[in-house]
Amino acid sequence: MKKLIGAPIRFSINYPKTIIAVYVILTLIFISFIPSVKVDTDPENMLSKDEPVRLAHSEAKRDFALYDSIVVGVVDDESTEGVFLPETLLRIARVTEGILKIEGVIASDVFSLITTDDISSDGVLLTIEPLMETELLSNADALRVRDRALDNPILRDMLVSADGKAVLISVPIKEKSESYRISLEIEEIIRTHGGSEDYHLAGLPIAEDTFGVEMFKQMGVSAPLAGLIIMLIMFYFFRSAPLVIASMAVSIMTVAWSMGFLIGAGYTVHIMSSMIPIFLMPVAVLDSIHILSSFHERFPVSKDRREALEGTIDELLSPMIFTSITSAVGFAALMLTPIPPVRVFGGFVAFGIIVAWFMTMTFLPAVIMLLPVSTLKSFGAKVTEGRHTLQLRIGAFATKRAKWILALAAVVLIVSIYGITRTNVNDNPVKWFESSHPIRVADKVLNEHFGGTYMAYLILGGSEEGTMKRPEVLGYIESLQGHMDSLESVGKTTSVVDVIEKIGYELYDGDESKARVPEDSKTVAQYLFLYEMSGDPDDLYHLIDPTLSKVNIWVQLKSGDNEDMKAVELSVRDYMAANPLPMGIEANWAGLTYLNVVWQDKMVGGMLKSLGSGAVVVFLMMAFLFRSPLWGLISMLPLTLTIAFIYGLIGFSGQDYNMPIAILSSLTLGISVDFAIHFAQRMRQVRRKAEGADDWSKSVSVIYGEPVSAILRNMLVISVAFLPLFLSSLMPYKTVGFFFAAIMTVSGATTLVLLPSVMTLFKRQLKL
Amino acid sequence: MRAIYFKVLMVLLGVIFLPSLAVGEDKITADDIIDRASLANYYAGDDGTAKIAMKITDRAGRVRTRELTMLRLDIEDGGEQRFYVYFREPSDLTGMVFMVAKKVGADDDRWLYVPAVDMVKRVAAKDKRSSFVGSHFTYEDVSGRDTSDDVHELVGIETVNDRAAYQIKNTPKDVASVEFSYYTAYIDKDNFLALKAEYYDKAGRLYRTVTAEEVSVIDGVPTVTKGRVSEVDGGETTVEFTDVRYDVGLSESIFTERYLRRPPRKWLK
Repeated sequence: MKKLIGAPIRFSINYPKTIIAVYVILTLIFISFIPSVKVDTDPENMLSKDEPVRLAHSEAKRDFALYDSIVVGVVDDESTEGVFLPETLLRIARVTEGILKIEGVIASDVFSLITTDDISSDGVLLTIEPLMETELLSNADALRVRDRALDNPILRDMLVSADGKAVLISVPIKEKSESYRISLEIEEIIRTHGGSEDYHLAGLPIAEDTFGVEMFKQMGVSAPLAGLIIMLIMFYFFRSAPLVIASMAVSIMTVAWSMGFLIGAGYTVHIMSSMIPIFLMPVAVLDSIHILSSFHERFPVSKDRREALEGTIDELLSPMIFTSITSAVGFAALMLTPIPPVRVFGGFVAFGIIVAWFMTMTFLPAVIMLLPVSTLKSFGAKVTEGRHTLQLRIGAFATKRAKWILALAAVVLIVSIYGITRTNVNDNPVKWFESSHPIRVADKVLNEHFGGTYMAYLILGGSEEGTMKRPEVLGYIESLQGHMDSLESVGKTTSVVDVIEKIGYELYDGDESKARVPEDSKTVAQYLFLYEMSGDPDDLYHLIDPTLSKVNIWVQLKSGDNEDMKAVELSVRDYMAANPLPMGIEANWAGLTYLNVVWQDKMVGGMLKSLGSGAVVVFLMMAFLFRSPLWGLISMLPLTLTIAFIYGLIGFSGQDYNMPIAILSSLTLGISVDFAIHFAQRMRQVRRKAEGADDWSKSVSVIYGEPVSAILRNMLVISVAFLPLFLSSLMPYKTVGFFFAAIMTVSGATTLVLLPSVMTLFKRQLKL
Repeated sequence: MRAIYFKVLMVLLGVIFLPSLAVGEDKITADDIIDRASLANYYAGDDGTAKIAMKITDRAGRVRTRELTMLRLDIEDGGEQRFYVYFREPSDLTGMVFMVAKKVGADDDRWLYVPAVDMVKRVAAKDKRSSFVGSHFTYEDVSGRDTSDDVHELVGIETVNDRAAYQIKNTPKDVASVEFSYYTAYIDKDNFLALKAEYYDKAGRLYRTVTAEEVSVIDGVPTVTKGRVSEVDGGETTVEFTDVRYDVGLSESIFTERYLRRPPRKWLK
C-alpha cells in the first residue's frame, strides 16, 4: 500500500515541474466546465422525479390546472376601510393590469378583484359581473366590492381578508424558476402605480427562487472570504508566503475540480451543492497543515529539504490515507439518502476530499522542492523552551484525571441523548430568510390577515366519471372540511361544495337554508353548470375535474412549517379512519407545502441510515488500520460524543432539525474522525518507538508536542473558515456556520481530553 | 329540384357579380366591411335553427361535449335579436334552456331555466366576454360584437384558407371593458364571412384565435358550419352546425318565459 502510494510522491519530488504542469492543465480543463452551470433551487427536486408523491402532485397540477403562484398582498392598516377606498382600489387595479402584461404570467388565471366574476342575486335577477369595475367609484362602491367578496365563501379570506383590510392578487406563473425575475417586475409596477398602502410579495416559489439568487451571492462572497481567512491563519502559523499559497492552491484546485466535475457531469447546482466550495475549501487544507507542521519541525533539524520531506511523508502517509478515506466515507454515506441533491453533495465532497489528499501528497512536495533555497532559510519552528506548555498541561491533566473525565463524558452522553429525544423535526423554506427579510415580513403580515398563503391540496377521487356529483360524497367532503377548518393551523378550506352551496344560496335569493348540497346528483350537475356559465369556466375546474371524478379541496395553512402540515395530514388520516371515505373514493395529498413534508420525512430516515452505515464503515476501517477493534472503538469516541452533544444541544435549544442541520452529522463524522486517527496513530508510533521503555506520561508529552499542534491548527482553521457564513442573510448558511464552530470545539476537546484519558485507563489492553 | 337549381344559380351569380356591383371595391371602408360581415355572420335570413355539437378540450387535453339546439329570430337586421338555446346533452343538463334578447347599445337580457329545480332566472351578465356555456367561445363570438364598440381599420388584403380576405384591425373604444387590446379579423372578400379573428392581450401578445373551419352554402346562404376557437396557452373548442335551416318562420312568442318551461317541441326535433 505504502509502496503503491509512495511512487507518485517520489515522482513529484523528483520531477516537480512536470507534476505542477499536469495539475495546472487538469485544473484548466475542469474550470472550462464551470460556465455551463445550471442552477436548481426547486425543493421539489429534493425528491426523485419518479417519487409517487411527486407524480401525484404533477397529476393534481394537470388535473386541476394549478400553477405555482406569486402572491401579492395589499394591506392598509392605517384607514378604517383598509384598502377599500376608491383611490386605493383604483391603484390596485392599475397594478393588477400591469401584472397581467408581464411575460411569463398566466394572465387568464390571475386571481384578483378585477379579473374575478362574482355571482349575486337580488330578487329575480341573478347578476354575474366582475367583482370590481376598473373605473370607480364612490366610497359606497368601494365598500360594496368588499362586502360582496366577503359574502362569497370562495372569495372570503382568499381574495379579501376576513377583517376587510386587505386584498390579494394571486399571480400564476409558467415557470417557477422565473419567480424572482417576475417579482422584480411586479415591484417595479408597484413603484409606478402604488400608493401609501403596503404591498407584500409572498408564496413558496418566490422564496425558493429568491433563495437561489441570494445563494449565488453567498457563494461569491463566503467561499472567497473563507479562503482569505484560511490563508491569513496559515500565514500566522507558518510564516511562509510560498508554502501557504501552495496549500491554498491545493484547496482552490480541489474546489475547481469538484465543481467542474459536478457541472461537467451534467448535475445542476442545487441549494445543497452550492455549499460544496465552502465545505471543501477548509477540509482541503487539513492535510497540508499536517505536512507543513511536521516539515516545520523537521526542516530546522535536518536542514535538508528532501530528507525532511521524506521523513514527514513517512510519518504521515498512513494516517493521512486513513483520515482522508474515512472523511470521504463520512460524506459518501450521504449517497445512501433517498434525496438526490444530498446524494450529489455527499458524492462530490467525497470526491473532493480524495482529490485534496492526493494533491497534497504530490503537489505540495513538488512546490517545496522547487522553492529557492533562500525562501526556506528562515522556515521552521524555533526550538525554544516553554513551547507547547499549555497543550502539555492538557495532556498531563487528561492522564491524571482519567476516571473523572470518563465519568463526565458519560454524563454528557446521557444528557445529550435525552436532548436528542426532544428533537423537533421541522423545516420551512420561508424561514431560510432572516426575520427582517421582506419575504419573511410578507409571510407574517399576509398570514395575519388571510386564511393562509401556504397551499396544500387534498384530492378525493374515484375511478368513475360523475362520482363526485353524488350527494353523499359531497356531504362527506363538507364534514371533512368542517373537521379541517377546526384545526389550528388551517386558515381556510375551499371545495366544490362551497361553490354548490353558493349557487343554491343565490338561486333562492339569499336563502340560507338553500346553501347546502342538493339531494340529487342532477341538481348538483345543473348547479355546477350554472357556476360554469357564470364566469370563467376554468375557475370551477380548479376545484373539480371536468369529468366530475375528482375533487380538489384547497387547504390554506397559516404557516409553511412542515410540522404544521404534518399535523394536518395526521389529523385527516385519523378522521378518515373514524369516518371511512365513501365507497370507491380515495384521498391523496398534493401541493408544495405537502411535498416538503414528504422529503423531510425521507431526509430524517435517510440521514440516520447514512450516519449509521458511515459510522460502521469508519469503525471497520480504523479497526483494520490499527489491527485492533479496541483501538478502533476508542477512536470512535470523539465523534460519537460530538454528534450526541451537538444534536442534544439542538434538541434542548429548540432549534428545528432541518436540512442543513441534518447534513452536519456527516460533516462531524468525517472531520472528528480525522482528529482521532491522527491522535491515535501518532500515539501508536510513539509507543512503538519507545518499545515500552518510556513511561506512559512521557509518550503523552511527545504527542502533545507537534502532533497536537497540528490538530489544534486544523481545528482553528475549520472553525474560523466557516465564520464568513455568519455574514450571510440566509439562515441555513448561518446555522451551518454556528454549528461548525461548535462541532470543532467539542470534537477537539473530546479528542484532546477524552481520548488520552481513555487510553490511559486501557493502556494495558491496548496492543500496538 | 328546380328550386334548388335556381338557388344555386342565384348564389353563383351573386358570388360573381355582387362584389363588383356593391361598393366600388377600392372605396369600401373598414366600417362598411364590418357592417356587412355582421349581417353575413349573424343576421342571415330572418330567422334560423341549427343543431350544435360542441367539443370543449381543456388545457390538460380532457374533452367535454355538449349538444344544443339554437333558435334565432332577427327582430331587425343589424339590430335586436332573440336566441333560444336548448340543451340536449349531456343528460344531466337535458332540458336546460338559455334565452337571450340581444340588444344593440345596451346590456342583453338573459334567462336561464334550471329544470332540476324548475326555476327560471333572469341573468344580468354585464360581461359579454364571459364564456358561452362553459366553452372557449364568448357570448360575443356567438351573437356578434356590437360593431360600434370598436374602431375599425382596414390593414390590407390577406389570403386565408385560399380565399382573399380583408384584414381589419379592431380596437375597442372602451379598453377597460374587454380583456383584449385589439383583435384582427379576416373577412372573406366575397361573402363577408369572418374566416379568422386573432385576439391580442394587453401586452400585445396573440392569445386566442377564432377560425371558420368549414363554410357551406345552405338555402343559398354562405354559412360557417364548423368553427374553432383555440387558446395559445392550450385548450380549444370546436363547434359543428348541422340541420341548419333559414327562414323557417319562428314566432316571437317562442322567446318568452312560458316556453322556457315548455320547450317548443316542433323546433327542437
